[in-house]
Amino acid sequence: MSISIENLTKRYGPLTVVHGISFNVAKGEFMSLLGPSGCGKTTTLRCIAGLEDANGGVIRIGDRIVSAPEQDVVVSAHERQIGMVFQSYAIWPHMTVAGNVGFPLAIRKVAAQEVERQVDEALEIVGMRHLRDRHPSQLSGGQQQRVALARAIVGRPRVLLFDEPLSNLDAKLREGTRTEIKRLQRELDVATVYVTHDQEEALSMSDRVIVMDGGRITQAGTPKELYRRPANRFVADFVGRASFIDVTRMNGSGWSTAAGVRLRLDDAGAPPATRYQAMLRPESIDICHGAARGKADESDNILCGHVVESHYLGAYTEYLVEASGAKLKVHSRSDFDVGAEVTLRFAPEFCRLVALGDEDRV
Amino acid sequence: MSVDASTVHGLPVSDTNRRSSSRGVLMGVYWVTFVLVAAMVAIPVIALVYGSFRTSAPGLPGDWTLRNYAGLASSGVLSSMSTTLVIGLFTSVLSIIIGTAIALILHRTDFRYGRIVMPLIGLTFYFPSFILAMAWIIVGAPGGIYNTVVDDMLGMPWLRADIYTAAGIVFVMVLHQVPFVYLTMRGPIIGMDPIYEEAANAAGAKPYEVLLRVTLPLLGYSLISSFILTFVMTIEQFAIPALLGIPGQVTMLATQLYLLVRFSPTDYGLAAAIGVALSLITGAAIWAQRRVTTAGRLTTVTGKAGRIKQIPLGHWRWAANLLCFGFVFLGLIMPMVILLYTSVLKWFTVNPFDGMYTLRNYVFIWESGSTVGSFTNTLIVSGVGAAVGVLLGLLCCYFTLRLRPPGYRALDFLVSLPFGVPGVVLGLGLLWAYAYLPLPLYGTLTLMIIAFVTRFLPYATETIGGQMVQIDKSLEEAAWVNGATRLQGVGKILLPLVSPSLQGAYFLLFMAFFREISSAILIYSVNTSVISISIWSFFEQANWGLASALAVVATLIIFVAMALITRMVSTAGRG
Repeated sequence: MSISIENLTKRYGPLTVVHGISFNVAKGEFMSLLGPSGCGKTTTLRCIAGLEDANGGVIRIGDRIVSAPEQDVVVSAHERQIGMVFQSYAIWPHMTVAGNVGFPLAIRKVAAQEVERQVDEALEIVGMRHLRDRHPSQLSGGQQQRVALARAIVGRPRVLLFDEPLSNLDAKLREGTRTEIKRLQRELDVATVYVTHDQEEALSMSDRVIVMDGGRITQAGTPKELYRRPANRFVADFVGRASFIDVTRMNGSGWSTAAGVRLRLDDAGAPPATRYQAMLRPESIDICHGAARGKADESDNILCGHVVESHYLGAYTEYLVEASGAKLKVHSRSDFDVGAEVTLRFAPEFCRLVALGDEDRV
Repeated sequence: MSVDASTVHGLPVSDTNRRSSSRGVLMGVYWVTFVLVAAMVAIPVIALVYGSFRTSAPGLPGDWTLRNYAGLASSGVLSSMSTTLVIGLFTSVLSIIIGTAIALILHRTDFRYGRIVMPLIGLTFYFPSFILAMAWIIVGAPGGIYNTVVDDMLGMPWLRADIYTAAGIVFVMVLHQVPFVYLTMRGPIIGMDPIYEEAANAAGAKPYEVLLRVTLPLLGYSLISSFILTFVMTIEQFAIPALLGIPGQVTMLATQLYLLVRFSPTDYGLAAAIGVALSLITGAAIWAQRRVTTAGRLTTVTGKAGRIKQIPLGHWRWAANLLCFGFVFLGLIMPMVILLYTSVLKWFTVNPFDGMYTLRNYVFIWESGSTVGSFTNTLIVSGVGAAVGVLLGLLCCYFTLRLRPPGYRALDFLVSLPFGVPGVVLGLGLLWAYAYLPLPLYGTLTLMIIAFVTRFLPYATETIGGQMVQIDKSLEEAAWVNGATRLQGVGKILLPLVSPSLQGAYFLLFMAFFREISSAILIYSVNTSVISISIWSFFEQANWGLASALAVVATLIIFVAMALITRMVSTAGRG
């Protein structure tokens, strides 16, 4: 089953929180909605689930329209056959683990024996079968998470929805659960929408990511596309760490910094704009001691500068280097003193041109 | 944007229908609830206002008039108005100081007897005001125990005191109100995030400086809110001013209203106007209190109960002990002992060695048809009424907090309205209403139940709503996405989860109904007398022994009910 969304609009009174967005999630595809809080990602998910009534647009699950307010079609949440994991897990405290997981079946009048069998199967999948008779208050956060997962998959749902399911787990547990969710989703092979504000989560789990801001889709693409070629400064900033240098188009062709240093960069398909910046990822910049020794390699960019700040982070050190009128973040395993003269070197394909909208905060 | 029409029309019909059937049932229930609540609240209020513009008693032919409101400016009414306000202010100030002090001592210092004092203050809270007032009359009346002791036994007539005065009313009112202040201040004091006090500590403030400069200012909103509520409860209080004030001719508005209806020359119109005035004062105060609570919501209380360092009492330990035990003694233990003593005496005497002891009062309770009847009536009114109140409260909470259909704000407002209407005024409103309405309710237990449920509906909605807002909405949503309809979500998820508060609300209402007197005093008839009324009448007939015996039995029943609640709430907390 696929999910298709056309022109989805959601308003709370005079406030529009989702501005007519459209996207498709294919069968078996893992799609993340990524964005800062208040960007409309959770609202979008809740519209798909039927927990919020959309004000406009069409939502299809498979080939069935579940929401089309203009046509007066609204299928209730309980009719949509979805599996959903809530941010707070929403494990019912007055039922046992088995009671929780069996609920979607029992409420649909599945025979008791069959409920037992499927509950055991679902609990087996998440490795919780031995705790089936426990009460939720006796479970750790991670275990409650697994119960929520089991409950979401037990009815063989047509689609899976996740609302920031990992945000209440500690960092170690989060990583393990990420892999787990991904594996489950592959096995079930269902269309999945996953809401998160954590870019690492979105990049590592998804087939495609939709970045949202202010109720609109800013960019949609594979994790690699988003990271390497963000459509604008917002996406570049939100997905991964990045530094920016103001650049202007030179008379003939090519680009130069404000200080007049010529830069070779990836400007393929960049949208027209009044102002541009070059985006650099800190791990794609090489840093070495001393001023530049000539133009070593014609194909790389070279900038000279000095270290302004240094933050030791264990695996590497993050340096802030002032070069060509900009402050650039650089990750390196070598040691440099603050104030040291350094040379930065980076390949054109990791130096991406981004358009600067007028509304972008610089 | 175009939608494939055939797909839309190809939807199975049941999809949209089932949604509307579950919702339809709920909406039907909603409108029934709305109409019921609106009728319960609006009928007495409208009738009261109507009555205040009439020249005659309810049910008799009369004319429209403004005379009653002009009567409000008469010297008699003005003086009881000022008496009411003065007594209200004195009582509230003293209650706030003592109640907050006790709460701070119990929860912020190294006071040693918290486990003893806390439950006793809880008991004091449920000790009915008219029984407390009776006990204090036996002690403090001109011919009462205290004066006999200081005068005849000690020979110190300059120590004589009279309870039938404004000061006496304030004294007994404070004893009655302190537990309320304690209970309202306890939550904020325990729930206050300790980091503010720790920060002050770290900044070099001594423990008492922390208390004065951080803790009390942070509690400011709670203090004001508790102060206003105490003021409201004081000026609408009926039993204490009636029992103490009528003999001493200290008249408060609530007592004046009662006197105008019950004793000739009666003036129902003026009584109604006084009721309107009193309700406006309490209503304005409640409105102010709501504003204060909304404004104060942003501060301090985080719910993270922290381990805060206790303030050492040091040299002041004796004062803390005196305050806490002194209060419990005067507010609960001594009155109970006095009532027990009076109830087993054949003839009242101050000296227990002169007394002739008997159990005839208790035997009389068993054998008299009227007392047994009033017990039965009370149990019916309390048992059935509390069930009705809980059901109505649950529905109101569900509609105003969860479903929120059109008009839910109006329902919310209607439910909270009785908070501002004093019990006697409600009784008077019902008196006016059922003289005209073609419903054969006057003089029935049903009317009594209607009066009690109306008056205490806010108690039910506060208790149930308090728990319902804490139940994460996603628990119900999870049920919906997993295939449950709205109704099934309510039945399988919400109801089981709020059931502790339903039990709590039931007992709270049960106890409130059991000891309620102010809204019953104007609408009871011979056949519908309840215990509180029986005790009241025996006492008014100067039959102290019988009144005391009945009071002892009623108090014991209330305390047993309270013990049941505490037990139930603590089991619910563990499970």
